[in-house]
Amino acid sequence: MPKVYNWQIGREMEFPYEGVRPKRQFAMVMDTNKCIACQTCTVACKTTWTPGRGQEYMFWNNVETKPYGGYPLGWDVRILEKLGVRDMTGPVYEGKTIFEAAPDGEIALGYIPEDEDWAFPNVGEDECTGSMEQGALYTMPHMQWMFYLPRICNHCTYASCLGSCPRQSIYKRPEDGIVLLDQHRCRGYRECVKGCPFKKTHFNPITRVSEKCIGCYPAIENGRQTQCTITCIGKIRLQGFISKPDEAREDNPLDYLIFVSKVAKPLYPQFGLEGNVYYIPPIHVPPRYLTQMFGYGVEEAMETYRRATEDKKLLGALLLFGSTPEIIERYEVQNDTAIGYNKDGGELVRVPIREPIHVRAAYDEQYETHRTNIT
Amino acid sequence: MNKSFHRRAWAGFAVLLVLMPGCPSERPDPAVEREREGIEAVRIEGTGAILDPGAGFWNEAPAFSVQLQPQVVVDPRLPEAAVGELEARAVHNGEWIGMRLRWADETRDDVLRTADFGDQVAVQFPIDPHGPLPSAMMGHEGAPVNVVQWRAPFQRDLDEGAPDIFDLYPYALVDIYPDEVLGVIDARAYTGALGVDNPISRPYESPVLDQIAEGWGSLTVKPIQLADGRGVWNDGEWTVVITRPLFPITPNDPDLRPGTATNAAFAVWEGGSGETGARKSWALWVPLRVAE
Ligand code: SF4
Ligand code: SF4
Repeated sequence: MPKVYNWQIGREMEFPYEGVRPKRQFAMVMDTNKCIACQTCTVACKTTWTPGRGQEYMFWNNVETKPYGGYPLGWDVRILEKLGVRDMTGPVYEGKTIFEAAPDGEIALGYIPEDEDWAFPNVGEDECTGSMEQGALYTMPHMQWMFYLPRICNHCTYASCLGSCPRQSIYKRPEDGIVLLDQHRCRGYRECVKGCPFKKTHFNPITRVSEKCIGCYPAIENGRQTQCTITCIGKIRLQGFISKPDEAREDNPLDYLIFVSKVAKPLYPQFGLEGNVYYIPPIHVPPRYLTQMFGYGVEEAMETYRRATEDKKLLGALLLFGSTPEIIERYEVQNDTAIGYNKDGGELVRVPIREPIHVRAAYDEQYETHRTNIT
Repeated sequence: MNKSFHRRAWAGFAVLLVLMPGCPSERPDPAVEREREGIEAVRIEGTGAILDPGAGFWNEAPAFSVQLQPQVVVDPRLPEAAVGELEARAVHNGEWIGMRLRWADETRDDVLRTADFGDQVAVQFPIDPHGPLPSAMMGHEGAPVNVVQWRAPFQRDLDEGAPDIFDLYPYALVDIYPDEVLGVIDARAYTGALGVDNPISRPYESPVLDQIAEGWGSLTVKPIQLADGRGVWNDGEWTVVITRPLFPITPNDPDLRPGTATNAAFAVWEGGSGETGARKSWALWVPLRVAE
């Protein structure tokens, strides 16, 4: 197998194809601290792309409650079990990726979930790690925890779905790095379903071929962020483009979050796919769990996030989440305002770093009435 | 990227050629001799496609035992193939050739769900019986092969109707489908592979796909489908007939006219064991004589 460089694991690794990075790379940052599991993103995706026959159990976007939830059931536990628990405790990952751990005759380490595993997309919803003792609620920190993990296809730089397909029906677009599955070429072998450790390719039993998230490419081509991003109630998402690791730009909000402040982390970097969806880890969850899930540097990321008010550039980037449906290619913070620009330099949005506070008298003289705090 | 892929494939091909049954050996072995003789397609009465797996005329054709090996040349592969042997008989009526293939399979796998694969069998012919023999592994560049593949799920579609979601998942919940509220043109965007006329998705009148290949990963369904067939599963055994015209009609049809000495190769997939695509058992070229 050829060798490619995966910056997330800090070393070269094996991959079935030569590593050619696309001209631009679709990416997303999700702030898990803000997700409320309302599933608006799931429904927005579903109604946009997968309401058809054979897509009944298919959710290109899903939101699961960690640690117990998972769609398909136990996807993370099962692949970790196969790979062995190999946490990433330093910038260079010493263990094996799923390509390097592939058994004889396989391209990647993987498995096909059972049909039942896809049948309960929100299993484990709101379940925390254990029960709370009487009164424990009133003391901090809470010993039990849970958090919401929204997931889409990671449009991986080294996509295992792509590498696993013997017909080369899956391709990565050079113009934006979106990974697409050719609906005309696929023959439904399901090698991609087996090979994707995130289980983000799905089999359509009516058309009898596989399907996957298309990164809302018609929107991206028109400078618009994905459906799951622009509908997000919690404004937890920012979608745009990530630069190549050695070409990070401080004025690209995604680069700032991922490469400069290092507050956003990849999902299971140890799998070796260099996914392009990044997560700001939930700061109330034990770092040990998060290190397994988001790799090296989680504790630093949590600390940086806690102190975000001290870094105006970081705060500015965070405030641009959910502020505009357009893709923000560049941003700056000027006079306590974060300003986002499109690729032609046109201004898209201005967000104040601190929302102005208006203090009003409790009694409204004009209407001769008492105000409540929502009037 | 293609290059390294093909290099891998060819390296394996060279190894297999050495191991291939039928290669000259020092002492004549009766089994090898039988293999050399190959399959004879005997002449029968009749016209048109040969479709009946239970017809009496199959007894006129000698049974040939095809020994199958697991595909181990390219990844992905299975260490052990579920089906090791296939009985092949061939007949022709001057217009069509029919091959009847019979193999033991405890499970009838003809429903496709995420983790359920279908049983399949395929016969492969060189397009040009007089040219250099194409690679038995789906041909090679410049030496195409015709792959006629019978699929159990297609057979079930024809026998019992194509399934809807409630046949596959009885407890599925559905509000409304786009095609119930939108016109055909607008609803097409929601039909996935069907909407782009993927040959695997669209309905056929035949359970057999008529295809061409010129090497690994190049299998393509032909624009005009001439092959036909019929399969029945009974008591742990599939009996499948695959039939096609003897004379080339459309570009890249194999030439199998009476009197031709050519070859046939075979592949079987046992869906219940997760066999699909490259995960299959196969037999390399077996001589095939089409009687005058
Ligand atoms: S819409 Fe946003 S807040 Fe709601 S579940 Fe999705 S990611 Fe979370
Ligand atoms: S997340 Fe899975 S489906 Fe998406 S690009 Fe990566 S390997 Fe492919």
